[in-house]
Amino acid sequence: MSKVEKARLDNQLERLKGDKALLQAFVDMLAIDNSEEADLNRFVLQTVMNKYDEIMNCAENDIPFIAAYFANCPEIFTAMDVPWWIFLQTPFLGVSSPFLAADTDETAKMGWATDFCTVLRLAMFYVEKDLTPKPAGLIALLHPCDGTVVVHQAISKSKQWHDVPVFGADSPYWDDERSFKYYAEETDRMVEFVTKCTGKTLDINKLREVCKISNQTYALWAEYNELRKAVPCPHDWTMGPPQCFALACYYYPGKIEAVNWFKMLVGNAEKRVKAGTGMAAGEQIRALWFDILPIMWQFDLSPWLEQEWGVNIVMNMFGYTPYEPIDTTSKETMFHDLAKRSLCQVPMIRQARGVADNFLGDIERIVKDYKIDCVIWPGHMGHKDGNASIGMMREKCRDLGVPFLYIGLDLFDKRYTSIDDLKNKLSTFFEASGFKHK
Amino acid sequence: MIVGGCDIGSTTGKAVIMTDGQIAAYSIVTSTTRPEVTAKMAMEEAMGYLGLVSMEELDYIVGTGYGRLKVPFAKENISEITCHARGANWLCPSVRTVVDIGGQDCKVMSIDAKGKVIEFVMNDRCAAGTGRFFEAMARALQVDLEGLSRLSLEGKDAAVISSQCSVFAESEVVTLVNEGRELADISAGIHNSVASRLSSMVRKVGLIEEVALTGGCAKNAGLAKALEAKLGVKVVHLPEDPQIAGALGAAIIAAERIQQLAEVGKKA
Amino acid sequence: METKTKSRVLQEFQEVTKTIMNPALKKEKDKGTKVIGYFCSYGPAEIITAAGMIPFRIRAVGSTGTDLSDAYLSSINCSFCRNALNMGLAGDYDFLDGLIVLNNCDHVRRIYDNWRRKIKTPLVQMMSLPKKITDPSIQWYYDEINILKKAIEDKFNVKITDDKVREAIKLHNETRRLQRKLYDLRKKDNPPITGADTLAVTVAATALPLKQYNPMLKELIDDLSKSEGVGKAKARLLVIGGVLDDPEFIKVIESTGGLVVTDVLCFGTKDFRAEINEKMKDPIAALAKYYIADRPSCPRMFGDQPRRAQLVKDLVKEFKVDGVIGERIVFCDIWAGEIYMLDDDLKEAGIPLLKLDREYIMAGAGQVRTRIQAFIESMGR
Repeated sequence: MSKVEKARLDNQLERLKGDKALLQAFVDMLAIDNSEEADLNRFVLQTVMNKYDEIMNCAENDIPFIAAYFANCPEIFTAMDVPWWIFLQTPFLGVSSPFLAADTDETAKMGWATDFCTVLRLAMFYVEKDLTPKPAGLIALLHPCDGTVVVHQAISKSKQWHDVPVFGADSPYWDDERSFKYYAEETDRMVEFVTKCTGKTLDINKLREVCKISNQTYALWAEYNELRKAVPCPHDWTMGPPQCFALACYYYPGKIEAVNWFKMLVGNAEKRVKAGTGMAAGEQIRALWFDILPIMWQFDLSPWLEQEWGVNIVMNMFGYTPYEPIDTTSKETMFHDLAKRSLCQVPMIRQARGVADNFLGDIERIVKDYKIDCVIWPGHMGHKDGNASIGMMREKCRDLGVPFLYIGLDLFDKRYTSIDDLKNKLSTFFEASGFKHK
Repeated sequence: MIVGGCDIGSTTGKAVIMTDGQIAAYSIVTSTTRPEVTAKMAMEEAMGYLGLVSMEELDYIVGTGYGRLKVPFAKENISEITCHARGANWLCPSVRTVVDIGGQDCKVMSIDAKGKVIEFVMNDRCAAGTGRFFEAMARALQVDLEGLSRLSLEGKDAAVISSQCSVFAESEVVTLVNEGRELADISAGIHNSVASRLSSMVRKVGLIEEVALTGGCAKNAGLAKALEAKLGVKVVHLPEDPQIAGALGAAIIAAERIQQLAEVGKKA
Repeated sequence: METKTKSRVLQEFQEVTKTIMNPALKKEKDKGTKVIGYFCSYGPAEIITAAGMIPFRIRAVGSTGTDLSDAYLSSINCSFCRNALNMGLAGDYDFLDGLIVLNNCDHVRRIYDNWRRKIKTPLVQMMSLPKKITDPSIQWYYDEINILKKAIEDKFNVKITDDKVREAIKLHNETRRLQRKLYDLRKKDNPPITGADTLAVTVAATALPLKQYNPMLKELIDDLSKSEGVGKAKARLLVIGGVLDDPEFIKVIESTGGLVVTDVLCFGTKDFRAEINEKMKDPIAALAKYYIADRPSCPRMFGDQPRRAQLVKDLVKEFKVDGVIGERIVFCDIWAGEIYMLDDDLKEAGIPLLKLDREYIMAGAGQVRTRIQAFIESMGR
């Protein structure tokens, strides 16, 4: 590697190394805690760090890796033994939160409209500023929102990644057999693309094994979600949907590590349900937070919610698992089921792609099954379709007899709606809805 | 039994004292920069009308106000949503939709027969639809607030002000003035703009009669008229100064607290 | 600068853009002709014509506010959508017999969900629009068009035969040819028509029965071919962006002495840059190919940005454009990204670009004027 290339690589890996260091700090904080819950959390943090290691290793040793998403039938990547990651994970995880505000402002200077989804703008930032290693291939996510279609075009045009081969799987708007067939065919093309970029091929028998393991993972996840229906919910804010999603859909799709972790998770939850153990602060309000949990706000917001109002976010968008097992009979059945999963079962895409009936049905299901006391639609500024659904959500909740709160915030930029504003709004909402302070 | 409710807002502080379920005295004072000072002023003025000297003479005080503003001497602080709802309900039990227009925020509440809040929406992000908006517009037309209201009632051909943001609306108004539009028409347009904003909020919670206006701007006859036109229903007239609805609600809750404590005491 | 001709046709076109319903459309409705609205340029208007109905592109001109739609759409949704839904809720679109909505963008696609729950239009049909331009996606859209066709046939008890579709294609293609001729007149150094008036002409095509519109436009073109020019423009401009159906906006731009000579908008160049292949055996296949592959794409089409940028550069050459104005309605993600990318391409080509955010209902004309003025001056004109 030439000096110039080395310098460039160093620049690209700098943020990743920083993120890793922060994660290590969290792991160290947990060191003194020997509980099962801490073990579960440690594993998740370590998993995220391992992903950074994996990608950095690829970058340093010229091993081809793919930039893709959990909506691209990731079991296939596992079966093809292709290293891949969601390069957006860096701003998404918010571990880089020290830089977040400055990075966001930089995107405005770069010329991106400030009403554009912040996390997608940050993805552009990372690419433009060469702060992320170049993949051998980019799989562009073309659903559920406008922002992702547009930003991936911009990324594949950028100076840094214009020579990265790109493939976008076109997604239909419907949830019928015709649509699954269309997306399965797109997935076929995606496999060809990945082979071209990495030299790795897809062995259907290997895929079968991977899907079998994936089925185990999702079955355990469904069990865990059943346990979360208990009153009180067995886990507090430190354990739940975000970790489940991360391991099942992103870090270990179809891998035994996920199965083992979920086994431990279910075991722990079972114990707690049997003992009637809920969150330490005492559960008073069971909430549905109908979006991603603002990960970088977890420390500011969640403990306050629990201690001040006894709120447990029993379910959120990323934890809901209407997954069906994959039929491993043949390539056709596997591709069909994987396509179906990627189009209408994986989180955020399930709720944002397609017609409003999809998410309205989910709200109803979750409210009833999880004995939800209130529904919160955070209204992230990037979800233009979700923000165009506030009337329908409000009416649905009115029908269900649960209070509904629409906030309007930026999940990634705390300055849009500050944490204090957020707490005020939540307090006013809880109190006006008849709940009492702890 | 003598109880007090205190409501501190950005523009004014209000206090209501109730004895045996009736309003005994109330006050409305201009806010200072220190909420605790404002609260004290309001409370002491109301007490003064009854010859009371010390807050200890009140059995229970409940405070309310915008956001984090807390009444320090209150036994507890309740959200202004709850208080305005209760106050409006007490003043007129047939009210089901409360539109509160304060100095810096506005809110709409859908309430039941007992004054309990079913749904609410708030605008506390910007000046549109608040007292601040009217102040800015009055300045732009170089009239006082009463003058602005009177003018709007005289408007024959209301100007259309399309900007949602009050900053842009202000420059639209200035342009209209420079173009020579009748001040009455401009003022009517301003009131229509606010009424539009409020009517949006009403439709979000669902329009159910009777509709009542509370808060400082409720006394603006031009606004009531504009809102009635937008909603297609009559706004009910409240028997007391609508600006005290929040403090009144707080006082009502104070009285309830005493009742609850007495019952607990009996059980014990 | 003004269009010098006193053409009665131009006046009628201008009137049509100022309202939703217009006299010609009302006459048709009174006769019993059905009208089907559609939200996006990808909507295959030819199918509506083939059904013996009139296609009407949804606009929100004359909207008095969003009081009603604010209960459904938020303040961070596109003001075109908010105003259009408001007009629907207020009853201004009660004359529609049907409405076609596509998932062209996040804001519009939720109009489908809200509209069908709250407004009693007899047929509200959604179409799934692909996001790529490939043979499979053309095939997908072919199937979607057939689904739409069947829905209209079933609802209104009509038969949309292939021959009827072929006839409709001919009619719409004729409109395209005429509009292209009109734009060719603007290539001159001193064009006979302003940009504002041209927009009125292209918008009118989406609100009038084309059988009436085509001869009117022909008359106008003949008129303009003999007309004086509008005058010396300080700068020749191209406007690019999304849905812009208000000639007043272009008027404000042109009040600075600049002249809009061409465009890349939902209404305008994109409508006629390509034609539907009348020789294809299967007319539905011809429609699918035209809309997905041949018509200049909307920025929501992944992977087609190079072709879109090339179109701008070609138009700059053909129409001798001095500067480009990139406008978008606030909160539009699609055009935010496209203008970001176009910026690089135009910088490279040495073509000045002004970025302009706007609301659907124009407010603050002074601010727009100032920016355009500064832009023109910065070009050294």
